[in-house]
Amino acid sequence: MGSSDVQHGTLDLMVLRTLEQASPLHGYGIARRIEQVAEGMLALNQGTIYPALLRLEQRGWITSAPGRSENNRPARFYSITRAGRKQLTHEKARWARTVAMMRRLLREDV
Amino acid sequence: VSTLRLFLTRLFGLFRRHDRRLSEEIEAHLELLADDYRRRGMVPEDAKSAARRTLGNVTHVQEVYRAQWGWPAVESWLQDLRYGLRLVSRNPGFASVAIVVLALAVGANTVIFSVAHALLLKPLAVERPDEIVMVQHRGTLGFSFPDYQDLRDRNDAFEDMAGYRITHVHLEYQGAAHRVWGYLATGNYFDLLGVRPAIGRLFTAGDERGPGESPLAVLSHDTWHARFAGSPDVIGRTITINRLPFTIIGVAPAGFYGIERYYRPEVWVPMAMQPQIEVGNPWLDRRSTRNTWVVGRLHPSVTRERAQANLDAIAKVIATEYANVNADFGVVLTQPGLMGDRVGGPARAFLFGLVGLAGLVLLIGCANVASLLLARGTDRQRELAVRASLGAGAMRLARQVVTETLVLSLLGGITGAALAWMAAELLTGWRAPLDFPVQFDVRLDARVFGFAFAIATAAGLLAAASPARKASRTPPNAILRSPSGSWRRRRWAMRDVLVSGQVALCLVLLVASSHALVGLRRTLSMPLGFNPENAAVIGFELALAGYDRQRGQDFQRRVWEAVSVLPGVEQAAYSNSIPLSPDQSSNVAFPENAASWPEGRSVTHYQVSPGFFRTMGMRLAVGREFEWRDTERAPQVAVVNLAFARRVFGSTDAIGRRFKHALSGPTIEVVGLVEDGKYTTMTEDPRPVVFRPIHQSYNSTTTVIARSSLPTEQVLAAMRGVLATLDPGLPVYGAGGLEQVLALPLLPSRVAAVALSSFGLLALTLALAGLHGLVAYAVASRRREIGIRVALGAASGQIVRLAMQRVTVMVGAGLIAGTALALAVGQLLSAIVYDVSVSDPMVLASAVIAMLGSSTVACAGPLLSALRVDPMLVLRCD
Repeated sequence: MGSSDVQHGTLDLMVLRTLEQASPLHGYGIARRIEQVAEGMLALNQGTIYPALLRLEQRGWITSAPGRSENNRPARFYSITRAGRKQLTHEKARWARTVAMMRRLLREDV
Repeated sequence: VSTLRLFLTRLFGLFRRHDRRLSEEIEAHLELLADDYRRRGMVPEDAKSAARRTLGNVTHVQEVYRAQWGWPAVESWLQDLRYGLRLVSRNPGFASVAIVVLALAVGANTVIFSVAHALLLKPLAVERPDEIVMVQHRGTLGFSFPDYQDLRDRNDAFEDMAGYRITHVHLEYQGAAHRVWGYLATGNYFDLLGVRPAIGRLFTAGDERGPGESPLAVLSHDTWHARFAGSPDVIGRTITINRLPFTIIGVAPAGFYGIERYYRPEVWVPMAMQPQIEVGNPWLDRRSTRNTWVVGRLHPSVTRERAQANLDAIAKVIATEYANVNADFGVVLTQPGLMGDRVGGPARAFLFGLVGLAGLVLLIGCANVASLLLARGTDRQRELAVRASLGAGAMRLARQVVTETLVLSLLGGITGAALAWMAAELLTGWRAPLDFPVQFDVRLDARVFGFAFAIATAAGLLAAASPARKASRTPPNAILRSPSGSWRRRRWAMRDVLVSGQVALCLVLLVASSHALVGLRRTLSMPLGFNPENAAVIGFELALAGYDRQRGQDFQRRVWEAVSVLPGVEQAAYSNSIPLSPDQSSNVAFPENAASWPEGRSVTHYQVSPGFFRTMGMRLAVGREFEWRDTERAPQVAVVNLAFARRVFGSTDAIGRRFKHALSGPTIEVVGLVEDGKYTTMTEDPRPVVFRPIHQSYNSTTTVIARSSLPTEQVLAAMRGVLATLDPGLPVYGAGGLEQVLALPLLPSRVAAVALSSFGLLALTLALAGLHGLVAYAVASRRREIGIRVALGAASGQIVRLAMQRVTVMVGAGLIAGTALALAVGQLLSAIVYDVSVSDPMVLASAVIAMLGSSTVACAGPLLSALRVDPMLVLRCD
């Protein structure tokens, strides 16, 4: 089974979820974790993580601060905010509904 | 430019900060990734390049990241702007020519607009100004007071109509009398205009208690400050006007000067006081004296057409009811502000003419900048081609050219607005050569600056249109492959057409301004009928100062006797008025045996003392001067001019013939015939004039004339001294040299000549700058070709022909088109420049020759540099 491109609109959700589980985290760390979780099912262009991070920060769902990585490299660390957690809960529920709906729809189709 | 650049750099800093953050993130990401790869055993160099590969297309990320900021359009526009500014600073020569050209064009347009705005467009300082109309007698201006009352009472289209009149009074305060200008106005005047007092109250309809019963005065805000120190206790104070007590009841609001836009009155007095204000000439109950100007406020629901129809119907009735004086009765509605269409008509025509000319100058300026841009565009083809091949879209290239031009035009617009501001200050400070408070307030306001900005933008867009179109069609391949500057030489390029257009428009303006100058010179050399040099005049008004006829006549005679013996005075006389001064009276003259009105002729009428003709330098063709024996009790006599003799008697054999001023009046014998002169304007046809001895036909308005070869100021000082001895409280006015009376009648042609010559000169400068630039460019871009030709043995004549061929055709085509255009718009020009035959071939020919000559001069420099091209130098580089 080959890897698929990141579906439109799902990267934000992935980043938020990742930061919910492990904050603070730098961009590289977030990209690595998403790839690990996807276990090769996802072709992530790692660079695209940064526009997504900026977008989330502009909406107030995450914050960032400069820091140092475990191997002492300067990097920007991101953490989820309360608004971000709320948004994530909201998005999770929406995804669950969408997935359930899609499943029913596809099953009937078969 | 440097502060502007600093500001922009800071603005870009905003974007750079985000760019920096992204590059830091990318940097950290690559390091961390490479660390990981190294941990898995890669050599450091491999790890680095592997990291870069994994991260993918950084440029794309950058674009997405920037787009995230939501400013991509602004940012790329700012990029264009930055680019434009960089080009400006890199090509200061080109940029400053373009900016100066645009500044001149925008400045000229802004000045004209600000004048038109001040005189025609700006709303009057009254309530709901769009309802206010001038109700004007057709052909003349004012109505008789009874006719005004009839119009006011019988119409149903107006909320109200007020009557008013410009007048002057003797205002006494602090022990001295001053001649000041003001308004007589009916009681409803202020209420109709919706004006509120600054302090006190304004008079109302309720204050009109009958003729002479409302001695009230309202001061203008300026006068309250200038003469009464802005003190609030002027209210209720009594001042003396024309020797009678008046009560100051209020002060008009600041900025309110009535509805005549150029006039600065000092005081308003109720119309009911007319007999006390215009002493000796009461006309409120006289249906034949049309002295009342009428302003009306339309009912909000009534259109002008309906109001006009309503007044037409009333006019018809009035014309038949009072047929003996009102046979010509007719009413028209006109714009308020400039004495109806008497001043408003010509002023409007002249201003619209100027707006047209200013538009032409703007077009020339745009064509100029456009052709400069096109010429430079050819140099920039490579640059644009490189950009196009790197993926810049057609729109983007076009937009860049437009942005750059807008940068230039806005810089030009700012400079132009500054020039216009200075010109407007000069115009506002200018005072007409008149004993009359005239002031034009043409200072620039937000609307005028808005106009300048709009004009500058429009000019930029107009100038950019053709170069932008060309830039968007840049074919990168063709250009990049060919050696520099030799790509595609079209037979006729847009810029050639633009040059021809400039030459044509410029010729039109030159013809117009030469006509104005020829007209002015012709006017100046016209025979006046009197000698304006070496004579001093001074005026006073005796009735306003409380003199009756007997005392007035004695006083005039005593002044004359004293002035006649002043040292250096060769000859002195006095009269009610002098030719070409603003104050002219007219009367009707009938042949002796006339029995009906139509036989009457309107004639200009002067009352003069003995010695008047000799003092004025008027030549008597036959007959005699008046003498002191021509008194009331002596036979009634007159001196007439040749035009009078021809019109009233039908022949110039007039001595001893008789005429009368009323059908049943006494007859007057002609004892002298004087040559025709100019009496009201410099351009009038000979006009019938009658002179009466002032002792037979008294007038309290007096002008004393003294002929002397001494300096005018010295004579005037002596004359003032005489008057101060005889009556220290008498205000004098209009003191000056006799030649100063010419200033006003000459004003329109002087203004026209100055305005048109400025435009002509401006257009010429612009066109020549454009021509020079293009020839210089053509020579520069063909240096290589010229070099080769010289190397192959071309003679200088051939080089000149090569360089000039195209220019000659362009200028020739422009001159032909311009001649045709000048002939075509001749009618328009004659509306601006009066008394000039517009198709005068001499004027046209000299304008063409002037254009040819100056074009040659403009091309000379670049031509010389073409001749100096050193083939070795040119061929070695490139």
